[in-house]
Amino acid sequence: MNRRSFLSSTAGAGALLATPALIRAAYAADLLKVGIPVPISGANAANGKYASMGALLAAEEAAAKYGRAVQTFDLDTEGKPATAVRKVQDAIDRDQIKLFAGGILSSESLAMGKECEKGGANFITTAGADEITGTDCNKATFRWSVPTFGAINQSIRPIIDALPNAKRWYTITPQYVFGEGLLKAAQDVLTEKGLDLVGNSYHSLTEKEFSGYLTNAMAERPDVLLILNFGAQCADTLRQAVSFGMKERMTIVVAWASGLEQFEALGADLCEGIYFGAQYWHTVDAAQNAELVKLTQAKYGITPNYSLAGSYICTKLMIDAAQTAGSDDPAAVRAALEGLAYQGLTGDETIRAADHQVMKNYYLLKARAKADMADKDDYAEIISSGQSFLSAEEAGCKLG
Amino acid sequence: MLNGIGLGMLYFLLAVGLTIIFGLLQFVNFAHGAFYLLGAYLTYDFVERGMNFWLAMVLAAVIVAVVAGVVEAVLLRRIYKLPHTFHILVTVGIALFIQELVIILWGPLGGSVAAPSVLNGVVMVGDFIYPKYRLFMIGFTAVLAIGLYWALERTRLGAIVRAGSESSENMALLGYDTLRINTLVFAAGAGLAGLAGALVAPIRGVEPFMGIEALSIAFVVVVIGGMGSYVGALVAGILVGVVQSLMATIWPEGARLMIYLGMAAVIVLLPRGLYGRA
Repeated sequence: MNRRSFLSSTAGAGALLATPALIRAAYAADLLKVGIPVPISGANAANGKYASMGALLAAEEAAAKYGRAVQTFDLDTEGKPATAVRKVQDAIDRDQIKLFAGGILSSESLAMGKECEKGGANFITTAGADEITGTDCNKATFRWSVPTFGAINQSIRPIIDALPNAKRWYTITPQYVFGEGLLKAAQDVLTEKGLDLVGNSYHSLTEKEFSGYLTNAMAERPDVLLILNFGAQCADTLRQAVSFGMKERMTIVVAWASGLEQFEALGADLCEGIYFGAQYWHTVDAAQNAELVKLTQAKYGITPNYSLAGSYICTKLMIDAAQTAGSDDPAAVRAALEGLAYQGLTGDETIRAADHQVMKNYYLLKARAKADMADKDDYAEIISSGQSFLSAEEAGCKLG
Repeated sequence: MLNGIGLGMLYFLLAVGLTIIFGLLQFVNFAHGAFYLLGAYLTYDFVERGMNFWLAMVLAAVIVAVVAGVVEAVLLRRIYKLPHTFHILVTVGIALFIQELVIILWGPLGGSVAAPSVLNGVVMVGDFIYPKYRLFMIGFTAVLAIGLYWALERTRLGAIVRAGSESSENMALLGYDTLRINTLVFAAGAGLAGLAGALVAPIRGVEPFMGIEALSIAFVVVVIGGMGSYVGALVAGILVGVVQSLMATIWPEGARLMIYLGMAAVIVLLPRGLYGRA
């Protein structure tokens, strides 16, 4: 081999070897990254796990639809605000992620929303505390789920109407911003209707044993036990309430159910006759929902639950907005989201520009008897649905 | 008060295996919660497959004991002589392994275990209402506590085990296989954790992170009662249960906090716990 052929061969080999890197660089430049900060360990790990699956579904769907690379990055918040903030900080600074969809708990979501605003990122969540799109709203934060005000109004008003003799109510409340929001909204509705809140038991976010609170509740002889906690704690409360025979003695209402996964964990026999407020239910008659059910069954072989569906739609909204904006620049994505009207999982949904709250339906479900279930996921029927929202001014939101 | 005692017996059940292992082997077992988790999930699985609850409960406890015995024989006996920090490191690793295995096998969602039909429902005496299953658990745990005490204090096997904890060299000189005794004790302690998981499953259901919570409560009980003290675990379990139950009435939001405050107070005032060894 002469010198010329050696040099040309070497250059050719070098170029060949460099090509994947060049392709990778070009690919990376077009890569749309979405951070998914959800609890993948701890008490709400199941919710986080499904949220991660929903986000992945949205990313794969978008990649196929738009012909570009979209990648989700799971950030385990452990359900702790401090951990959540640290993970989001790292993702913004180190990984240059500018779009986030996640947050199961209100406390972590409030903290992450503020961090995203500070770090120049966008955040969308399903967490419920009114403050998220209320007094603590900010330009970086959006919310898909109905906040606690709407959840209470849509879950307990129909029951009050249906059960005129149910005068005495007792609440069990987790002592943090989400629980306080639900409790405040419940107190307002009960007062307006002239009903008695005969007692409330607060508990910590780490509580597993509810027998003491339940015996307190039974001592007050309420007509309705209103459960205001979420996820695994809600399942524990229900399981123990049923073992104390409370289902036979009063109406039990869960204001904010975590959906199909909760029914699966509890089983039909335990849930029968109990009312559940829900952000999402897989049988909702909406084209986008039918599409999600089909997608989820094709990829995972399961029916979508609330955690999966909420995360799917949040991630999808972020990706679609970035595509519309032609960039993942948070300001441009924000502009694309504000005022957006779209076909969502609950039918027509709109993102209110004044406070970044999605206007959507909330559902009241009643659990069926096992014998009445048409299929393995047919745990409940939708009793009612509707929308209750404070205006942005009433909620106290002033976007900067 | 009854609710507090019921809760206390549950806590005793969580802690008794831990305290026996520490008392007799001087071994800090952070995998205790994971054995509890495994017992609960095995029971759940067996019942889901249609097995009778009582059989499922016994089978789950036995399987956990066998698994723990194998782990002890293969791994843990090699680290007994090392400082407690090594015990913690290895057993935390085992706990995480079991927890992940549970998630892989049964998924991240929890599940419910139906109580046996004979114990469904509640007992009502005037205004007093209490679940039958919880009453059964109080009685069962009380019988178990007496039986264990008798076995440890009044039987030849118990005497051998206790002697082994004092001086394994002397026991070896007398011809006893101390390695086998250690394995037996560890398996029995873990089996009790598995039994606790099986018994608690109808009350609290199963979920993959239940072992962590159980471990923290078990340690609180063992620390208050005195590390390694059997009677201490019983007294502390009931004490913690009653305090938590009463606090749920007086100051609900502080009910759980009081457990840990109580433990802190005991550490400060009685560093060896209520019945700790000198």
